[in-house]
Amino acid sequence: MEIEILGQGAFESALVHLQPGETFVSESGAMYRASTNVDIDVTTHSRSSGGFLSGIKRLFAGENFFFSTYSTDDGQQGEVGLAPTHQGEVHVIEMDGSSDWLCAGGSFLGASSSINIDTQFQGFKGFLTGESVSFIKASGQGQLLVAAYGRIVSTQINAELTVDTGHVVAFEDTLQYTLNKAGGSWFRSWLGGEGIVLNFSGSGRILTQSHNPSEFGKMLGPRLPDRSA
Amino acid sequence: MQFDIGGNPHYGDLTVSLAAGESLWTEGGAMSRMSTHLELKTRLPGGFIQSAIRRLVGGESLFVSEYTAESSGMISVSPASPGSVLQRELKGDSLWLTAGAFLACTPGLTLQPRFGGLRSFFSGEGVVLMEASGEGDLFYNAFGGVIEKEVEGGLTIDTGHVVAWEPTLEYRIRGMGGLKQTLFSGEGLVLEFTGRGKVWVQTRHVSALAGWLTPYCRG
Repeated sequence: MEIEILGQGAFESALVHLQPGETFVSESGAMYRASTNVDIDVTTHSRSSGGFLSGIKRLFAGENFFFSTYSTDDGQQGEVGLAPTHQGEVHVIEMDGSSDWLCAGGSFLGASSSINIDTQFQGFKGFLTGESVSFIKASGQGQLLVAAYGRIVSTQINAELTVDTGHVVAFEDTLQYTLNKAGGSWFRSWLGGEGIVLNFSGSGRILTQSHNPSEFGKMLGPRLPDRSA
Repeated sequence: MQFDIGGNPHYGDLTVSLAAGESLWTEGGAMSRMSTHLELKTRLPGGFIQSAIRRLVGGESLFVSEYTAESSGMISVSPASPGSVLQRELKGDSLWLTAGAFLACTPGLTLQPRFGGLRSFFSGEGVVLMEASGEGDLFYNAFGGVIEKEVEGGLTIDTGHVVAWEPTLEYRIRGMGGLKQTLFSGEGLVLEFTGRGKVWVQTRHVSALAGWLTPYCRG
């Protein structure tokens, strides 16, 4: 399977080249083009595992209930174009099976079907600030597609780094992390308008995004009509 | 302290290297990545009354966040909206900013809210201004690209497109017509500049984007 990143900067998308017999899985609704021999199936699981419950878990992670799976139906090659919701970069993470990756809810775009996808709920801390903190766990060998709001910066952590949850795209689970407040107390963090941060330690790679979609949403929100109206 | 602005013009952000004991003031919620040992304190720049006014009329965060490095470290901050990040070194002079344009500054600058006048208050656009003064570095951001414009004589700009201007310019906020037009036409307010000085203009307008999205919002 070969994945091509089309466009650059704010408007990147992915073009997945499927060999006969290969299957690719994506967020439902991400497909914007496909060759006519591509068959699209909608499921609640990525491989044989999962089912209805994993769909529910994904809803909590800020993801869609359903996955879309793509494969060719005529024994020929085919291609599928996938576009993220936000404006920004798209990256391919080559997974060799040596470590798992955790992916922030809104950053998951797709994965080869050889990769197992599971949702990891990070406890109830997130509800205090209205932020949902859940990760999608990808394990196995294959390719993982992630999308960002803005630019992606890849950092090799060797000691410690603190990242605002709204800026996390994906990271290797060789890293240890704790959910924390940015300030000395929850009250201070709330006063200052600071969200939840992740304190990383150990060693591993992390991808972060230059911009925080929630901050942009909070900027637009007050200018939009009430939901009840 | 070392500053590095990256990603302009589409996704600008600011990365600052801090030596031991140095601090950075940022807009609340702007921090994206930092050294784990940095300490956060919330501060009221310009005193409580000033901050309360800034909160009430501007809807901006009441506080700025002060990040202090005990040993050498780094912090990155990014604006809420995509666009450019700009730097201005203040040497005892000042710069005027519109609401939402403030990103970060070196500690000790005075950040004073300025009320845009009754007309702006009633039009619903709520023009709130901030005057940053003192000695230090100021970082501010624009939604979209930035045009630096030298004003000689006069220039009129939609308030939603103004990012910052030099204090040598005189400004006046007014509607594009009379008060009635301001209230009912949906035409925004404008800032009318006279004199000599620079003004920074952003090429996108947040309220215009929100206005476009509004019909698509369902209850």
